[in-house]
Amino acid sequence: MENVLQVLFVGVIVGSLYGLVALGFALIMGVMKFINIAQGSFIILGGFICYWIVTFWHIDPYLSLPLVMLAMFIVGLVLYRLLFSPLLKYPKAEMRLDKSLLITFGVVWILDNTEILLWTPNSRSVITSYGYETVKVFGAALSYTGLIGVGLAILAAAALHLILTRTYFGKHVRAATEDAGAASLSGVNVQRTYLISCGIAIALAGLAGTVIVTSYSVTPGGGLSWLLTAMAVVVLAGPGNMNFMIPAGIVLGVIQSASTLFINPAYQQPIALIIFLLIIMFRPQGLFSRG
Amino acid sequence: MVTNWKKILTSGIILLIIFLVPIFVDLGTGIMNQLVTLFIYILLAQSWNLIGGYTGQINLGIAAFFGASVMVTHFVWVAGVPIVLSIIAGSLSTTLFAVIIGIPTLRLKGMYFAVGTLALTQALQVIMQNIFTRSISTRGDYVQAYDISSRYFVGLALVVVVLLAIYLIRHSRLGLALVSIRDDEQAAQVTGVNTFKYKVISLLISAFIAGLAGGLYAYFRLYFYFVSDIFGHGWTFSATMAVVVGGAGTLMGPVLGAVFLVILGYIFSLTMGQANMIVFGFLFIIVMLFMPQGLMGGVDLFRLWLYRISKRPIKEVQKATL
Repeated sequence: MENVLQVLFVGVIVGSLYGLVALGFALIMGVMKFINIAQGSFIILGGFICYWIVTFWHIDPYLSLPLVMLAMFIVGLVLYRLLFSPLLKYPKAEMRLDKSLLITFGVVWILDNTEILLWTPNSRSVITSYGYETVKVFGAALSYTGLIGVGLAILAAAALHLILTRTYFGKHVRAATEDAGAASLSGVNVQRTYLISCGIAIALAGLAGTVIVTSYSVTPGGGLSWLLTAMAVVVLAGPGNMNFMIPAGIVLGVIQSASTLFINPAYQQPIALIIFLLIIMFRPQGLFSRG
Repeated sequence: MVTNWKKILTSGIILLIIFLVPIFVDLGTGIMNQLVTLFIYILLAQSWNLIGGYTGQINLGIAAFFGASVMVTHFVWVAGVPIVLSIIAGSLSTTLFAVIIGIPTLRLKGMYFAVGTLALTQALQVIMQNIFTRSISTRGDYVQAYDISSRYFVGLALVVVVLLAIYLIRHSRLGLALVSIRDDEQAAQVTGVNTFKYKVISLLISAFIAGLAGGLYAYFRLYFYFVSDIFGHGWTFSATMAVVVGGAGTLMGPVLGAVFLVILGYIFSLTMGQANMIVFGFLFIIVMLFMPQGLMGGVDLFRLWLYRISKRPIKEVQKATL
């Protein structure tokens, strides 16, 4: 019983992180119809920035969060200006999607190799004084860092939801998502909206990277496996279904975590692939969307 | 069309004669190694080109097909089967993976195929790493019998066959169907092309070609230190890079791109060490943004410019794209 509960808790903790990882990816995909294959590598980059800040200034990793997110926000703006905005000249959405896939695949290559060059191929993690402490709930242990991760993920999802539904900027984003041409005609600065949403998406990658580096570890070249998890989450939730990213992530996390009861934990990646394939075979619109 | 045929035939024969030089002259192991590597890249690039350049489906999982074929070819060959048969066995095994990944993902539009193939690579990498934890090597007598020139000629034969096959495919009904899917999938479907069927056929052939590259690699390298390297994304990246730099959707573009890649890779790895990968990444992005037609597009522009200088009527300009 305790075993099952423990697996469930681990699944929820990992799963909310999966949801957080998927959030930034889904934002770029939903708003701009670009596929950012490099999202995972940006997450790793965020983790390494946090690692650097903590190593040099010896502050708490969660206090470094604003700095990490600001740095990643700027990275996102640069990414949009340099790579995404030139793609807007292609008239067809499919073509933009293909080009963005290829270009961000090149970005993955650059980021992974730069990270290896700067930080060596070893995996790094930030260990805090409370890193190994746990709180017991019905006999199952919950780590503080994991709980903070869950909290941050829910906070980020809620904040994003509020921004998208309650502010003028959110209205612009939704208008540009719906129909960029019509939005532009009615006075929405589509380019600026895209720019800022790209920045927010990469800043979310920084947040996810910080959570990963504190509760797990980051490895250069590990970005693609995070990306694939994000993809599985997005497919589970249904593309464009921003509100269900965290629940979908938790579903995936619990499935993966439960699978460790039966098979070797090293095979979690194939399980994500199998879930991805099953979902697109039988329910391509996602688990949580109607119709 | 007739003149085109003659031109291609003569230039092809001349190229073939150039590449048959190693029968008579000993070029040294270093150059021969580079040439075999070049053949592997040409095969991989053509594999990517068929599905990505002609059919317009982005494949980010060439490494999965390549690696699967390397493993199968290696073990079948070591078990005592002749190399040609084991390469074919390896290539057939890749089509199995192509079916697994292609049938669900190619039904849907958009990112699913690209992500599915990428996920396949990642999954195979993890599985193989867990199964083969140590390096794989061959028996001593295979190492003693190692002879680079046999690798070279097997590679040359594979490249010639694949280039011919791609040319024939491009000029058949199948090729027309593939190109129509790339240009406008909806229109193709409306005009009666069974787009799903043709996409799957294209993927199967493409995976088979990637399998041939893997078989050649298994024949070329007798031992593997890290199994995960065979399934590494570097192979996918190299194939994609060769096609994009050379010109997607052309016959000679990927060949040109592969030559470019091998020469540059040789120079950069000597001068820059680890950083050469980063340079390739930047080069790839710059070409994607500013030269979407690749080097073949450059050839087209150059011809146009030549004709403009010689003041001949512009309609004589033939597209370099075959």
